[in-house]
Amino acid sequence: MIDKYVYIIVALLPLSALMLVFQTNPYHALVIRAILGAIAALVYIVLGAADVALTEALVGTMLAVTLYVVAVRSSLVLRLGILKGDGKTNSFTELIASLRKVINRHYLRLELIEYPDFLTLKQALVEREVHAICSQQDYSEPQNQNSATGIEIEQTYHTAIRVRRLFEILQTELTLPETTLTYVSVFNREDKH
Amino acid sequence: MDSILIAMILALLIPIYEAWQDDDIWQKMLAFASIATKTSIMMLVISVLRDDWSIGVVAVIILCVGNAGLMLLAHLIKRINET
Repeated sequence: MIDKYVYIIVALLPLSALMLVFQTNPYHALVIRAILGAIAALVYIVLGAADVALTEALVGTMLAVTLYVVAVRSSLVLRLGILKGDGKTNSFTELIASLRKVINRHYLRLELIEYPDFLTLKQALVEREVHAICSQQDYSEPQNQNSATGIEIEQTYHTAIRVRRLFEILQTELTLPETTLTYVSVFNREDKH
Repeated sequence: MDSILIAMILALLIPIYEAWQDDDIWQKMLAFASIATKTSIMMLVISVLRDDWSIGVVAVIILCVGNAGLMLLAHLIKRINET
């Protein structure tokens, strides 16, 4: 004969599973996955499977969630290459703040990587070390042409993005006069061989 | 004795509701800590009710592991918010 409380405990499992399915933020979803694991272990215990419950708690809750947090953290990131001196100027911090606000809506993190000069910055984009670069020089222009054009140019930044989806997101949502956005298709060397 | 377990299930629904409706990740972690502890205490109660020692041992191990997993998860999430 099955006790009444068994039915109520088993009913908690689809409840927490629905919570997990309707969660959009990946980090929140992982915490709810841990909650689901705890409830699943309880259900297995109630139904008499102690070994399955132990495996669920050890592997399902602890190991899987920890590994997934590491995986999500390293994959949901926008790496932005910048020049070394740029980080201190006022307009640049404003630009970075609004950029961060836009990509936080898509649950991405912003990681700033500093480079000493423009050539290494450009090289990093071509070598796929960063997803985008942001500097006062245009990606397509040669390096020396900018010095003659005057002060207005110095206020604007050029952001070159090599990931098409990121470019589409930023183009529709980032409405700042301080920067121009360009999409750069980087030649894929691995595919050639 | 069943009424004790029913009361514990009702108490378990409170942190589940909290995890569902709150948007802050640390509130969700608190709800997870609450749920992990509550479920393993329920397992211990069930093991006493059924006089089954193997369930009791597993419940104690899960009680320890739940806390360890929480610590690990909290450290990783803290480092996400820092950078």
